[in-house]
Amino acid sequence: MAGWGWDAVWGTPSPRWRLYDHGGTKMSIEMRRARRRQMFIFLLVCVGMLVLLGRLYYWQVLESQGGYDLARLANDEHTQDIVLDAPRGLIYDAQGHILATNVVRDDVYIEPIQFSIDHPDNFQSDLTALVTTLHQVLPTVPVDRLYRDFNLDAQAVRIAVRIDPAQSEQLHRLHLEDVFLEPRTWRIYPAQDLAAQVLGYVTQNDNDNHGVYGIESQYDALLTGKPGSFIAETDLNGNPLIVGASAEQPVRDGANLTLTIDSGIEYMVQTALAEAVQQLKGESGTVVVINARTGAVVAMAGEPTFDPNQYGNYAGQMGCLGSEEVFFNPALYCAYEPGSTMKVVTMAAALDQRLITPDTTVNDPGYINFNDAPVVTNWDHKAYGTETMTQVIEHSANVGAAYVAYDILGAARYYPYLARFGFGQPLGIDGPEEAGEYRMPGSAGWTPSDLTRQAFGQSILATPMQVAMAYQAIANGGVMMRPYLVAAVDDSGHVVTTQPQVERRVISAEAAQLLTGMLERAVTDGYARLAQIPGYSIAAKTGTSTTQGIPLDETEASLAGFIPASNPQFVILVKIDRPQQTIYGDTAAAPLWKEIAQELMWYYHVPPDQVPAT
Amino acid sequence: MRFMYRLEDRADGQSAGGAEPPKPILAAKQRRQLHPFFFRMGPVTLSISSVLLIGLMAILYLSQLGQAVAANQKLQDLHRQQAILQRQNQDLVDVVAQEQSPAYIDAHARLLGLVPADPKTVQVVVIPGLKPIATDNRGIQP
Repeated sequence: MAGWGWDAVWGTPSPRWRLYDHGGTKMSIEMRRARRRQMFIFLLVCVGMLVLLGRLYYWQVLESQGGYDLARLANDEHTQDIVLDAPRGLIYDAQGHILATNVVRDDVYIEPIQFSIDHPDNFQSDLTALVTTLHQVLPTVPVDRLYRDFNLDAQAVRIAVRIDPAQSEQLHRLHLEDVFLEPRTWRIYPAQDLAAQVLGYVTQNDNDNHGVYGIESQYDALLTGKPGSFIAETDLNGNPLIVGASAEQPVRDGANLTLTIDSGIEYMVQTALAEAVQQLKGESGTVVVINARTGAVVAMAGEPTFDPNQYGNYAGQMGCLGSEEVFFNPALYCAYEPGSTMKVVTMAAALDQRLITPDTTVNDPGYINFNDAPVVTNWDHKAYGTETMTQVIEHSANVGAAYVAYDILGAARYYPYLARFGFGQPLGIDGPEEAGEYRMPGSAGWTPSDLTRQAFGQSILATPMQVAMAYQAIANGGVMMRPYLVAAVDDSGHVVTTQPQVERRVISAEAAQLLTGMLERAVTDGYARLAQIPGYSIAAKTGTSTTQGIPLDETEASLAGFIPASNPQFVILVKIDRPQQTIYGDTAAAPLWKEIAQELMWYYHVPPDQVPAT
Repeated sequence: MRFMYRLEDRADGQSAGGAEPPKPILAAKQRRQLHPFFFRMGPVTLSISSVLLIGLMAILYLSQLGQAVAANQKLQDLHRQQAILQRQNQDLVDVVAQEQSPAYIDAHARLLGLVPADPKTVQVVVIPGLKPIATDNRGIQP
């Protein structure tokens, strides 16, 4: 049978369509109508196609030029880009005990909008049941708050943060509808406030966890590591198809740090300091223990301190005589006028330049006048008559120290030694620190009075660490080491160990030896005798400093020295701020210094170097 | 049976044997249908074979896919287990660190009735003639 065909020409008015079969027979009217309907449908389809083409052009050409990334949006529907968090590096003490680690804890979220969609009929009764269950598992979350949160117009609301593992387990088992858990990593300090001001803490915000203060801040980049990513197609439930096409950027774990701090000593020092400050009714206190040979910090404690696990509770609390927040490390930040402990530096400058010997004498009538500076008196206003330089140290005489600085040394030969001992400049220890300051010729406001007073530790600001390092240089035969807190960095198996570094020679070995002898006499015959430990030689000097403008009985009592004097192992500095029970370095600081030194000798099995008197 | 024609046969429009030759296009179709490679196969056989082949491939593909899905599921479970174990490990590390902390040991020692040793009570025994240890100039390495 022959097929139908038409030879119509568009636009021919009459006859509209002349339809013929192959034999040229005229078509019936019905057939012509059917053909018209077909044509109409065909035209409709064409118009639809044109609309679709236009729409396609709009999305593919016009919108893509406007930055509307449809392909990315489409891919996002079935691909998952997971950020793999790098675990923050751990911090260990010198004995390998963990000082800072990480744990994962869950936050609890609810989905209020989804819950209302899922429960259109029995919303109130289902909500009551869910709230009751949630409150049973999380008793700290009030029922009222749960009701309020479920009625919020929000996709997800966090109702609890950092829940216990047992609560997480319970919620996992319950499979509660429209409730989900979001794991989050938290920084934990297992020893709580131990060495808190050395460590600092890590902020625990939702998207910004970074170290603040101390080692956590200083080594933040190393500790943080580098997060990775995992891009994979997902199944209907959103689970990544691991066997499918995927791309992974591996995580680089944060580096682990090993500190020079010894937890055992740090705990002993911190506990003893807290007790001493409380007993003396002091305002605050600082202790620094340094390895005399290497410059490694063995212990560094401040009181008051804080618990880095609960750092938010300490916001606004002040340490360091109210000048800094409690989070700052007072050994590095709390600069003070060191008082008589500075007389050692004055003597060191004169001994090193061979301008005096320990037996050089000075007449001390209890005061000394200067042509261009105010009179200087002894702290106790006593007249010691003719005394040797060793006795100046023993008596802690201001007159003798001012005489050496002004009459023997002079500004030109004194100030270079302040710089050599590291005053007025940061020590370069691992952590932010204050540099301290002092006036010198050429700086604004300097007068000769500054020189006479700096000789015995006034008119100069130094941190406890700077004073301790000055004594370290003397203990180490005149060689100052670079202080350090981090003994080793383990970056993905690549371990870098800190080697002790010589900072500079400050004074000659001979001068250091002479000075050590003078300091020993300060302990055996001078004001530091309360620091004596049977069997051990000790070189130490007391300091009782006052600050201009405040009452004289508000002092900073301190004692700095090293033990054993014959073979120095440890430099210890103790400072008690504003003690009320007793205000002097010998009575307030020396007993604590002795306690710490005795424990150190015991702990490290350092043998006595003297035959105890029988 | 012949299926190939010489050019001169086509040029004069006559077959070599005198019989009506099949049209060239039809001949080509027949060659493709009946001689796919090196053996002859009728259209029905070819269809059945194709269906069987496709079915076999589908079975193979589906079995592979099933294995992949199962492996994926297993990997996901292992990942989940790994995350749980890592979490437990971190918790245990934390517990160990807490129990090794001096404050914890101090508190528990006191609970047991122990008292801290007093360094002041240490008795120093002097041994005459013993080489003085103080000459040992090594620093203590923290």
